[in-house]
Amino acid sequence: MLSEAAIKELNEIRQKYPDASAALLPALYIAQREFGYLGADAYEAVSNALGVPKAIARGVGTFYAMYKHKPMGRHVVQLCTNVSCMILGAEKLSDFLKNKYGLEPGGTTPDKRFSLVIMECIGACGTAPAMLLNDDFYENLTEKYIEEILEKYK
Amino acid sequence: MEKVLLKNIDNPNSADINEYKRVGGYRSLPKAFEDKPQEITEMVKKSGLRGRGGAGFPVAMKWLFACADTKFPKYLLCNADEGEPGTFKDRPILEKNPHLLIEGMVISGYAIGAQYGYIYLRGEYPGAYHILNRAIAQAYENNLLGDNILGKGIKFHLVVHRGAGAYICGEETALIESLEGNKGQPRMRPPFPVNVGVFAKPTVVNNVETLSNIPLIIEIGGEEYSKIGSPDCPGLKLYCVSGYVEKPGVYELPMGTILRDIIYKHCGGIKDGKNLKAVIPGGITTPVLPPDKIDCPMDFVNMPKHGSMLGSGAVIVMDETVCLVRVCHRTLKFLEHESCGKCTPCREGTGWLRSILERIENGAGVEGDIELLLSVSGNMLGKTFCPLGDGAASVVQNYIKHFRNEFEEHIKNGECKYE
Amino acid sequence: MITITINNKEIKLEKPVTVLEAARSAGIKIPTLCWHEQLEKYGGCRLCLVEIAKVPRLQTACTLMAADGMVVRTETEQIANVRRGILEFLLINHPLDCPYCDKAGECELQDLVEKYGPAKGRYKEKKRKVPESLEDPVIVRNMGRCIMCTRCVRMCRGLQGAAAIDVISRGGHSHIEPFSGGKYDCEYCGNCISVCPVGATMSRLHRHGYRPWQMVNETETICPYCGVGCTLIVQVRDDMIKRVVPRIGSVVNNGLLCTRGRFGYEFVGSKERLTKPLIRIAPKLSADSYQLTANLFREATWEEAISLVAKKLSEIKEKYGNSAIAGIASPRCTNEDNYIFQKFMRVALGTNNIDSAARTGFAGAQNFIENIFGQGATANIIPGLSNSDLVFVAGGDPTTVNPILGLQIRACSRNGGNILTIGNFKGIEYCSPQKLAPVLYTEDVLLEGIVTALKNKKGLSGANPKLEAKIKDISTSIEDVKNICKIKEKDFNEFLNILSESTNPSIVIGKETTQSNGASYHLLLLSAINYLINGRIYLLSDRANEQGLLDMGCAPDILPGYRPVSYMEFRRRYESIWKSEIPEKQGLTIFEMIDTARNGSLKAMYVMGENPAYNLPDSKSAESVLKNIEFLVVQDIFLTETGRLADVVLPALSWAEKDGTFTNMERRIQRVRKAVNREGMEDWRIISEIAKNMGEKFNYSNVEDIFNEICKASPLHKNLTYEDIEKGEGIYPYKGEPLRDVMEEIRFQFPGSRSQGSDGKLYLRVERPLFHSGTLSRKSSALMKIYPHAVARINDKTANMLALQNGEMVRVSSKKGSMELPVIIDDMVDSSYVMLTNNFEGKGAFSLLAYQIDPVTKAPIIADMEVSIIKGRLKK
Ligand SMILES: Cc1cc2nc3c(=O)[nH]c(=O)nc-3n(C[C@H](O)[C@H](O)[C@H](O)COP(=O)(O)O)c2cc1C
Ligand code: SF4
Ligand code: SF4
Ligand code: SF4
Ligand code: FES
Repeated sequence: MLSEAAIKELNEIRQKYPDASAALLPALYIAQREFGYLGADAYEAVSNALGVPKAIARGVGTFYAMYKHKPMGRHVVQLCTNVSCMILGAEKLSDFLKNKYGLEPGGTTPDKRFSLVIMECIGACGTAPAMLLNDDFYENLTEKYIEEILEKYK
Repeated sequence: MEKVLLKNIDNPNSADINEYKRVGGYRSLPKAFEDKPQEITEMVKKSGLRGRGGAGFPVAMKWLFACADTKFPKYLLCNADEGEPGTFKDRPILEKNPHLLIEGMVISGYAIGAQYGYIYLRGEYPGAYHILNRAIAQAYENNLLGDNILGKGIKFHLVVHRGAGAYICGEETALIESLEGNKGQPRMRPPFPVNVGVFAKPTVVNNVETLSNIPLIIEIGGEEYSKIGSPDCPGLKLYCVSGYVEKPGVYELPMGTILRDIIYKHCGGIKDGKNLKAVIPGGITTPVLPPDKIDCPMDFVNMPKHGSMLGSGAVIVMDETVCLVRVCHRTLKFLEHESCGKCTPCREGTGWLRSILERIENGAGVEGDIELLLSVSGNMLGKTFCPLGDGAASVVQNYIKHFRNEFEEHIKNGECKYE
Repeated sequence: MITITINNKEIKLEKPVTVLEAARSAGIKIPTLCWHEQLEKYGGCRLCLVEIAKVPRLQTACTLMAADGMVVRTETEQIANVRRGILEFLLINHPLDCPYCDKAGECELQDLVEKYGPAKGRYKEKKRKVPESLEDPVIVRNMGRCIMCTRCVRMCRGLQGAAAIDVISRGGHSHIEPFSGGKYDCEYCGNCISVCPVGATMSRLHRHGYRPWQMVNETETICPYCGVGCTLIVQVRDDMIKRVVPRIGSVVNNGLLCTRGRFGYEFVGSKERLTKPLIRIAPKLSADSYQLTANLFREATWEEAISLVAKKLSEIKEKYGNSAIAGIASPRCTNEDNYIFQKFMRVALGTNNIDSAARTGFAGAQNFIENIFGQGATANIIPGLSNSDLVFVAGGDPTTVNPILGLQIRACSRNGGNILTIGNFKGIEYCSPQKLAPVLYTEDVLLEGIVTALKNKKGLSGANPKLEAKIKDISTSIEDVKNICKIKEKDFNEFLNILSESTNPSIVIGKETTQSNGASYHLLLLSAINYLINGRIYLLSDRANEQGLLDMGCAPDILPGYRPVSYMEFRRRYESIWKSEIPEKQGLTIFEMIDTARNGSLKAMYVMGENPAYNLPDSKSAESVLKNIEFLVVQDIFLTETGRLADVVLPALSWAEKDGTFTNMERRIQRVRKAVNREGMEDWRIISEIAKNMGEKFNYSNVEDIFNEICKASPLHKNLTYEDIEKGEGIYPYKGEPLRDVMEEIRFQFPGSRSQGSDGKLYLRVERPLFHSGTLSRKSSALMKIYPHAVARINDKTANMLALQNGEMVRVSSKKGSMELPVIIDDMVDSSYVMLTNNFEGKGAFSLLAYQIDPVTKAPIIADMEVSIIKGRLKK
């Protein structure tokens, strides 16, 4: 079940499109926020709210990389390893996250503090290597800088 | 030259409507409303403006097609998916100069008769999402968006729609599908979006940078604008440079600036004085160029003549320490991940190419692998539903074309000599 | 006119079509995989790429529209290479398990690879492996073989309208899944199976059962289940049905089937089929206790059984008179069977005591509607629903009662039509219908409100004065609708606006209306709505030949051709053909038969292909009456609840084993054809033998003889032949004369005093599930696997109140009896009622029902049955 606030938000978003189904992507974002990830409950809630068949909602949800289909840590490290970042050492940073924090790509630390997601280009190539941590950009990363950043996220 | 697209962006408040107005923003809008919509399109036609999203399609032509369709309402979509790796040119506009885009969209909407606009923003730009929403709210407050803009009876509404992580949604028909709440898979053409686009209505899709050029065209006129940059392909262009240069970043320069100049003049040359090995001129799916092929004017008309494409103007510079097999492999890994899966050659071929490249890079390549790469990519090229699959095939062919020895070396030595 | 050139051949096209269609029309084959003639264009597989002169890029023939002057080449070296390349891509992850694959022999991929494919694979990496899935009762999946053509998805969403499956993930990870990720849990129509080009999704019923090329016999016939009358292709080997498939292009179902038609055929080959006539040797017990005793009957020869029946019937006729005998005809039997049956009753036994289960709703309702709008008022073309701009549904879920008709409603919605419903119907939810769901048993007030508002809005045209006289008397305010039905004014107005603006509406009426308290009044109100919006009516029909049996005269008041028996001119006509007198007096309806037998004046009954001891409301009481009747003959393919009470049981051949015709709810007559051989006699033949034994002339050598007699006798079927029917010309009103000018006064009865759903009590409603049909479906193991046992559906409020979890056992009781069964919490159910099915042995909802009879339609009113639920089993 979606919270009342979420339903209200969804109804407002719904008004921005001529078709209810166009609100599916935003609705899935809301459901992901509410449920933590998109499981059967989340899809059913969205399906009921918008009248999109649930199998279709799930088909759409699984198409997009930013919808999560399992529980995530409290903070999500989204490290870019595409070409510009790769040639400037992003893969080493990924190794560093693994060795230092036990953070494997796609994995979550046992204390649920961090999850690591490997991203395709995040549009910070000029300041590569870069990552998003939750909604914030961190650029020109080094191992030391990553340590400092992660320190801020409890 | 004074910056236009990136004007005032060093000012921390540049995204605020008052700052934007202070430096001359929202002056083109009332000016545009004095003209008839057709006159604006005419002006854009004179300007020679081409789309900045990658394909370089003449903007006015697209608008005219949409105008000619009588279905109602019409939609203007701003392509802010900026997914081509290496590209980060739209982001400064979205984050620092959102009102320029809004102003451009209101004018463009007026020109084509669209009363509704959506900005399809890539999911990976959460910051820009909030900034755009704030800017749109301010524009509504200032009567620059709404049912009766500036009291002139002109209606335009604007909504930001967040994508959710799919490169293919940058392709305009996939973008439309995605905006409708579907999987981002390209649509059949015809019918073209200008006739049957989003919600089955006539739709114009333009890139952020394209739309952000409109206020300048209104300000100085089409003719004047056409004098900027390349005569074949005029205007301002944002080049975004990354990789091994001294000063990576986004550069606002006249269209047609020579690639070598971008790297050596504007970006301060190769980092740490190393040797240049290869340049990707327009995002990772555009053909890679060896160091002796970079004296080319970076515009839509001239780049193909020099064996590549302008693409999104995303220049990635690689020095002698970079393994190109690895870059090629990473590119295919990306394209495999982003293939929408609709058509057979791309869905199956990207993965196959990636796996061959993977074994070569890992030192497990065997004789015949290069021919296999060429044959498999040949079976894709020209047979896919949309340009993504073609791009994957041409990437492989171009790396082999210019750097075959590097592939051979990997196979012969059974290892990658780069770190 | 468009002219295009393909491989130097000039092709002229009347209308715009794709290059592929143009090529096919000229006999040029272009290989395809994702394309399917029933489905929306896709253009994904790329196998159909062709060269177009002056176009640099290859184009997919399946999506490109042919344009005038276009020059196409489909067989060049380049194209051959492309095909080889595409097939190689499809094979890299395809298991090469053709030797084990049941699709081999009819696999599109296999055929294409043989013709165009690469000689050997160059893919060195590991293939993707997906284990076989047997999670579903009727579908087996081997998704490792899937080539992602998405035909199944487009079928399920686009045509079936169920949207149960979709492509999950993307790119090379794409795969087909239902919502659960595992079990499909869908409508199990199997239409996805029809379109899968490879062995990825197949029917489980014949898994490892046979090879397609071993199928010796294919017969086109009509589905035995519901009144839609879908065309089936029955594939047979060794006189066993191996598979049933639809045919693209067939009129009613055009390449689609529902779960019953496709998977419900196993009853034919059931080991429980009756094989020999049975004669009772032990005293009658109740149907339930049958299991306890083994030897109720002894087997007999046909001669013995036939002469026994003839003798007993003659004796009873002699002793008690013609009216002491009655017969029940069968909506599962052919027109020919039913015609012979009523002729036997009228001629050999001299009685009009003939009726059928059509009396439980369809017969009376059709009569009522035809009395207002004329004969044939409900004979509307099913595919016409999808062309309506509005479909108004009341009294039943069309997608479960008549599934293929239901698909037409979904198609209407997809085409932009509006769907309006009175109440909640799960199968229509996909259409996002505009719903008005009144409190239980207040539907008449809502309908009155609609009629009143429509009347005020549209006025009366004067076209039908008799009906208008009734409409004028109807007046119910929106206030009443609000207060009594608990419907919001806004919803009502919205509903009404849509309804009144429709220009091409259809009205669909189900059994809950025809069995409601005040059924005739409900029908009057719906007729009034139909009149005011100028619509057409579809009357749902849950049996394959319900319409046909009425048209054959299997009713106490009508003769073949739907001619009232009370009119002398009609009687004379048949008397002259049958050379026998026909009683003037109307016979007994099925319910009157039960009552008359109860009071002792009905002594014998002949039941053909019907199960009144289970299928009639208050079935326990019907059962005890049938148990006590002096002589009961039951002719059937299984030993039903009724059969167990019989004195003589006669085994009949089933639908698959005989020829004949069915008349569907559109009144289209279609050919039923023998698909398998079996020893035994058809229903008509058994009855003819008995008639002959009684000295009557029933000399028919085949069904065509009978049909020809029907067409001679019945004015409605005048001059019709099997040949006409084969040609698809069995369409109402045929070449015959529909009945005109015998309209009577419009009579109806208001609903009696009744409870209303908001009183906090629980009432019983009957669930009519998609996966079952009467008691026949019990013998089809596939359907039983999908829906294996009876359940009580309750809503979550009821469940909370009783602290019940899904699946817990409860005891449901009414004043008529009680039964134990598990509950299912269903969000489509209201807290004012419980839903029970009437399909499973010993668990029939009808055994808990009492009924009254609507005096006009003569149908049972089975509303208002209060029940209670208690948790747990009864302590023994
Ligand atoms: C695979 C693919 C990805 C694309 N990605 C983008 C993108 O991220 N941003 C963009 O503006 N255009 C992108 N395009 C181009 C769009 O399809 C379209 O041409 C563009 O939005 C039109 O706008 P313009 O004429 O202003 O350039 C992409 C095209 C393809 C084939
Ligand atoms: S080439 Fe085909 S599979 Fe690849 S992205 Fe385009 S449509 Fe999708
Ligand atoms: S059986 Fe029918 S409902 Fe089920 S997935 Fe296949 S097409 Fe859909
Ligand atoms: S299961 Fe069959 S029909 Fe469905 S996508 Fe796969 S191959 Fe096509
Ligand atoms: S049949 Fe044309 S693309 Fe598949």
